[in-house]
Amino acid sequence: MPITVNLDVMMAKRKMSLNELSGKVDLTLANLSILKTGKAKAIRFSTLEAICKALDCQPGDLLEYTSE
Amino acid sequence: MMKTTTEKILNIMLVLTWIAFIGLMVEAGIILVSYVITCIKPEITKNLYLGAELSKLMQLGFWNYSIKVYFMFSLLGMKAFIAFLVIKTLSKVNLANPFTANVSQRIALIGYVLLATWFVSLLNHIHANWLLKQMGQPEVDYAAVEFLFIAGLVFIISQIFKRGVELQAENELTV
Repeated sequence: MPITVNLDVMMAKRKMSLNELSGKVDLTLANLSILKTGKAKAIRFSTLEAICKALDCQPGDLLEYTSE
Repeated sequence: MMKTTTEKILNIMLVLTWIAFIGLMVEAGIILVSYVITCIKPEITKNLYLGAELSKLMQLGFWNYSIKVYFMFSLLGMKAFIAFLVIKTLSKVNLANPFTANVSQRIALIGYVLLATWFVSLLNHIHANWLLKQMGQPEVDYAAVEFLFIAGLVFIISQIFKRGVELQAENELTV
């Protein structure tokens, strides 16, 4: 898919673990893992908002478009 | 509320399908046993299950009788197989996540078996008409289209179900 989720990069920048983020955004570890590994088909605005708030970043920092 | 009503209906359907399956298997078994017995002792045909019809068939020759029994047995077997597939589908279906690839494939298979049943039913009808002609009786116009119609309907449902599987997968991968 040409959309890449850079969640792991942002988590590394903020030095935040998956468990910590899971607690902050109220998402299960399984769902966060789906997002982190790029298996997700879609992301809700509410989820994006919560992650941006927890990691103090913009949606553009998490999502990246690359032409195939 | 809606879910429990659907669950109840599906459970009732499962019981009814089990009854139909057992009934069809018993009938197929009786026909097979009757056939084997008549092969050994042809004179007792009229005393056996459905003997009234089969003894007349026996008069038209052993091969015609055998073909007719073969068609009857195959049709009952195919109907029993459809009932078996429905039982497997109904016992596996999970109302929380009903759209699974397994259920979708099974519904498509039911459609194909129904199509095959229509074909066998048509062959049976052609043979029956040929026999009627031999006896000098008027032919009957019957093309077993109901099986073809139901096969088409089930196939359409299986295609919609296939799309449901894709949508459910997409929904599960939305975070």
